[in-house]
Amino acid sequence: MVATLEPEKILKDLRNLWSELGRGAEVTGGVLRACGMTLVVAAESGDDTEELRRTLGVLMHDHPARAIVLRLQEKPGLDANVFSQCWMPFGKHQQICAEGIEITAGSMELAHVAQLLLPLIVSDLPAVLWCRGPRVFSGDVFAPLLPLVQKMIVDSGTAADPQAAIAVIRDLHRQGRLVADLAWTKLTGLRELMASLFDERSAVGIKSVKILYGGDVASPSSIYFSAWMERALPGAQVTLNRGDEGLRGLRSIVLSGEGCEVTITRPDKTTLEVHCGGRIRRSTTMLLAEEVLMGEELSILGADPVFDKVLA
Amino acid sequence: MLKPVASNNPFADPLRFDRRVPECALVIFGANGDLTKRKLLPALYRLAYERRLPDSFAIVGNSRTEMTDEVFREKMHESVKQFLEDSPFDEDLWNNFARNIFYIAGDLNDPKLYSDLKAKLDELNRPNVLYYLSTQPSYYGPVVEAIGAAGMGRSTEKGWHRVVIEKPFGHDLESARALNARVHSVFPEEAVYRIDHYLGKETVQNIIAFRFGNGIFEPLWNRRYVNHVQITAAESIGVEGRGAYYQEAGALRDMIQNHLLQVMATVAMEPPAAFEPDAMRDERAKLLRSVKIMKPEEVHLYSVAGQYRGFREEKGVDSQSQTNTFAAATFFVDNWRWAGVPFYIRSGKKMPKRTTDIAIQFNSAPHTLFTSEDGRPPRPNLLILRIQPEEGISLRFLSKYPGAGMRLRPVSMDFNYGSSFGERSPSAYETLLMDVMIGDATLYTRQDMVEASWKAVTPILDDWTTRSFDFPNYDPGTWGPAESDAMLARNGHKWRNG
Repeated sequence: MVATLEPEKILKDLRNLWSELGRGAEVTGGVLRACGMTLVVAAESGDDTEELRRTLGVLMHDHPARAIVLRLQEKPGLDANVFSQCWMPFGKHQQICAEGIEITAGSMELAHVAQLLLPLIVSDLPAVLWCRGPRVFSGDVFAPLLPLVQKMIVDSGTAADPQAAIAVIRDLHRQGRLVADLAWTKLTGLRELMASLFDERSAVGIKSVKILYGGDVASPSSIYFSAWMERALPGAQVTLNRGDEGLRGLRSIVLSGEGCEVTITRPDKTTLEVHCGGRIRRSTTMLLAEEVLMGEELSILGADPVFDKVLA
Repeated sequence: MLKPVASNNPFADPLRFDRRVPECALVIFGANGDLTKRKLLPALYRLAYERRLPDSFAIVGNSRTEMTDEVFREKMHESVKQFLEDSPFDEDLWNNFARNIFYIAGDLNDPKLYSDLKAKLDELNRPNVLYYLSTQPSYYGPVVEAIGAAGMGRSTEKGWHRVVIEKPFGHDLESARALNARVHSVFPEEAVYRIDHYLGKETVQNIIAFRFGNGIFEPLWNRRYVNHVQITAAESIGVEGRGAYYQEAGALRDMIQNHLLQVMATVAMEPPAAFEPDAMRDERAKLLRSVKIMKPEEVHLYSVAGQYRGFREEKGVDSQSQTNTFAAATFFVDNWRWAGVPFYIRSGKKMPKRTTDIAIQFNSAPHTLFTSEDGRPPRPNLLILRIQPEEGISLRFLSKYPGAGMRLRPVSMDFNYGSSFGERSPSAYETLLMDVMIGDATLYTRQDMVEASWKAVTPILDDWTTRSFDFPNYDPGTWGPAESDAMLARNGHKWRNG
């Protein structure tokens, strides 16, 4: 017997939640209900609930949403409860609150979740699915949810096999899905640095790009970076090879050609050293938290032409 | 000129990092002043926090006070911590950012300052240089000329040299033109960025999105449907230690001539052909040139000056001061869209609350089926664009009161920025500093706009400087003198004191 849940009951619980919040805020400046989209988060049973709540709490400040946390578990059953994320903006007297629904679903019930979600998604606003763990790369478990959302965000960095994970993402992209990968988002700082080197300098003469990575296998970010270079410099030979032992991920990039030699190395986790035009420049790159990466992706709800080319 | 990043850079990604600041040095004249501490440095720090500035971004501060780079950095550190709005402060990030903050002491009238500055800029070797004049307005001309004399004004093959000039740009039409001539003797117009921080506010920019991004409002945006427009910028505080400055300026010069006429131009301008700096500024300028210039005999009808009780007791203020701390004016726009529609603009200090908004009152329904609860004709629709605080948009319309009978009550449909976009919008200075460094002048005022807005207020200024007002004429905590209400009442209108 498959358990079911009534969406009307959940919506009623949400209304009651807002009544409660309003009553609680009578003595202060009131509560502002904030919602700019629906964010469906597919969390795995092993995900840290508190950590996920904290991440969503930070995300809501800039991307207030109805968050629907879909927690997948092995044992059968379907359950739901509602929650709110509230914060007091600096210097203001009115709390801002975003609402959330947490649904726990066993594998048997997962097929019914799409039906349950449909009425819970806020009408006329964008809906995004964030698959937080690697399950998305091992089968089409989330396929029923895809028609409900405009964009899907995954993280191939969580997958055991990066190449296979990227193949899944490419497949989704070929099906016409708007899909983002946090492993690509992590590259924004490095890509911006690379772009800044060619604001005033031509890249036409570059003939070769040598990329080295650390670790046993190329990380998804290394693979994406290599693909990005190939698309950006179609006349250059781009190679991606394993470098020294030690730091995982991208280790060094060397661009060379007529009158142009640019080397970017990563001596440690947070430093980038750029050798360009006879100058040496050091940049500090922050290790970006999940909420920062997600924030960047939630800012882009339409097509992402550069990533599209990388996936093509 | 900076080449657009996306034009020929194969690594460009306009969606994620289009607006990137090139390597540059920012020279702030008047770096020990309030603007630097409260607005400029917090905005720059925030841009660094958002990873919008290159690591090599350098700041060179100047004021007369002798201090070392270290002491200046420490002062700025304290200021940023104190005045950073809606943002966390990251000590590590600050340390990285502060490495490139420098200080040069010197008198603005002393040529040595400029040779020292030149040496520093040569040493820093940044291809692009931005000068920010945050000094007393009387120094704008001399500083620009001294920059020119030191050979630091013109853009070179290596990069651009630009100048940002704070308001007021002149104290009347003639002085604005004179200042412009001095500035243009060193910097070409495309390198001159006259800042009006109101235009950098998200909510003012949203007027453009609201009008030209939606299909439903623009058809109503004309004399057939709009009855009148009210623009209010009220402050609850007084002059707060700025008495000496304010005494020379007054509300008309300080707020209406620049900020509020620019806001009015944004509300009333024609749609530009493209969202490009000159297309936008052309339309704003056209609108300002269409403002009907009052005849001398109309000034009494269409303008009101006020001064709050207690202003003359403020520090630095003359005990017989004739300065207006409140100003209101009725403007008309001589074009097909707006002919006959009054634009009421007011600004004042010591008002009941701090608020800036634009209220667009629509004509009443042509045939009244209903009366409101008090038996009067129902109130017309009102669209309110709230600039600050509680940024947002409200539309007032009538709704049936639940229950028996047809009783109508005005209700408000509200959009609040926070409810859709969360808590934080970039500050006006973040937006405008970013814009000038990437060469986007859309939100900066051009000389023709400055001149047109001075022309619009010149008859009022001419009249007010020759009149002796019976000041003070309003109490703190009120909405200004009674004459202000009378000005609207003559047209059958009433200020919206919401």
